[in-house]
Amino acid sequence: MTIQSPPAPQRHAGAAGSGVALYAAVARLGFRRPFAYPQAALWGVVTNAFFGLLRVSVLVALFGARPQVAGYSVTDAVTYTALMQAFIMALALFGWTDFMRTVHRGEIGTDLLRPMNLLGFWAAQDAGRAAAQFALRGLPMLLIFQLGAAFTGGGLHWPAGPLAWTQTILSAALAWACGFLFRFLVNCAAFWSPDAAGFGRFAWALLGLGCGFLMPLAFFPAWAQAALACTPFPSMLNTTVELWLGLRSGPGAWVALGTQLAWTGALLAVTTFTLRRGLRRLEVAGG
Amino acid sequence: MASLRHHTRLYFRLLGAQVRSQGAYRTSFLLDSLGTLLITAAEFAALVLVLPRFGSLSGWTLGEVCLLYGLAELAFVLMDILFGGFDAPNLSGHVRSGTFSTFLLRPAPLTLQVFASDFALRRVARVGLAAAIAGYGLTHAGLSLNPQTCLLLLGAVLGMIAFFGALFVVGGTLTFWTVDSVEAMNVLTYGGRTLISYPMDIYGRALRRTFTFIIPAAFLSYFPVLRVLGRPLPDGLPDWAALLPLPVGLLALGAALGFFRFGVRHYQGTGT
Repeated sequence: MTIQSPPAPQRHAGAAGSGVALYAAVARLGFRRPFAYPQAALWGVVTNAFFGLLRVSVLVALFGARPQVAGYSVTDAVTYTALMQAFIMALALFGWTDFMRTVHRGEIGTDLLRPMNLLGFWAAQDAGRAAAQFALRGLPMLLIFQLGAAFTGGGLHWPAGPLAWTQTILSAALAWACGFLFRFLVNCAAFWSPDAAGFGRFAWALLGLGCGFLMPLAFFPAWAQAALACTPFPSMLNTTVELWLGLRSGPGAWVALGTQLAWTGALLAVTTFTLRRGLRRLEVAGG
Repeated sequence: MASLRHHTRLYFRLLGAQVRSQGAYRTSFLLDSLGTLLITAAEFAALVLVLPRFGSLSGWTLGEVCLLYGLAELAFVLMDILFGGFDAPNLSGHVRSGTFSTFLLRPAPLTLQVFASDFALRRVARVGLAAAIAGYGLTHAGLSLNPQTCLLLLGAVLGMIAFFGALFVVGGTLTFWTVDSVEAMNVLTYGGRTLISYPMDIYGRALRRTFTFIIPAAFLSYFPVLRVLGRPLPDGLPDWAALLPLPVGLLALGAALGFFRFGVRHYQGTGT
């Protein structure tokens, strides 16, 4: 059968209040799911901490005797690594193929019958998932790094003051939104390709390099930074780290947040358009 | 002898079947290869883009780091192609879905079937990139390319393939008992690979000694590369320690295959 565009919201007139409740319920379920596998979370933390230790070693060795490089001190570099390891799962930096799978398996047919906006449904679910992963894996990771750094006579760099905290948290939320829309857009390739996994692998590799997950973007040569500034990737993580470390403050912090917001809007437009085109050519096999 | 020839032919026929099925969607396969390639390229590019700003990594030049990184990557990719069937996610998938029981019913050696069960053609492109990185290292690390050097490095690569292959076999075998939660093995396999991709003097003493004397990862590539570069081995170790990768790797692989056979004898299936 061929499925038309998702049901329009006005078909459920008078349900505006319950609409919000619906997405909240989806987000809550998304939040609870990772808590069902505490053992997986524990091993995840152990693995992330180990890789974090290796990454810190490389960065500290690069610094050598230098007190500062590109605005980063050694403490900043250690904090940067802690943040990367803390955000891996929340921001799904190794990739995300959940939506792709529902297209391939035809489960998307059931989702389309539900009285909700498909993108909103997935956004709510992913927001819940991201919050849970940050609570389960991110916070313990920051604690481990703080303890480890304190043990060697240092500590992590934390945002300075309520304004910096507010801006950092806002930026983290925007980084999630921007990253989610990008991931969803990549998953939309499933509408056109029978095996979009390769397309995904390509995109996740770009994401890792472009968002500053592999190395802080400030360490890259000027030409590479200029090129990346024309892409949405820095908005998906690097900006948040720079706000956290205080490398962007004052008006610069608001400009950074504005840039993230603009990219989120642009990605929302592109993803909505792509999803609509994809749904138009979607055919779900019966069975 | 005849049976060896028969088994080799069987192995390549099984690989051929996988190659045909994976090449069915051309564009998809090309993108997949490119994506797999890009993962390594991105990781390596991050280091190469950043290194000039810092000058060196703990006194190691770009060429020297390339040699170390390229050898580790080359060995790991070749190992992945060869031993992919034993990788825990793959083997546990077969155990969970019951297809592993099908392997047991077929009139072909079990180990051979597992070896040929996950040949990821897309990884072949990565071999080229790894070889290029190692090649750049060989020509820019300022070492003399004599037969002795080549043999030493070849032994290191073969040793690493055998050693990481052994880890894959052990991780896969563990899935007979615990269907999931073999994530800890990832620390040893992928963690070990990452660890030996960089000069080991950048790690703290405790970490370096753990990975020298308890988990013998340092023997695999760090010591041979030190010797090729004419640098002394750390912790007062004798020079011949650089010749150990192949024997250490083969010993580990032998033990791991023994463990696999033990696991198969105790395999009870999942009832699927």
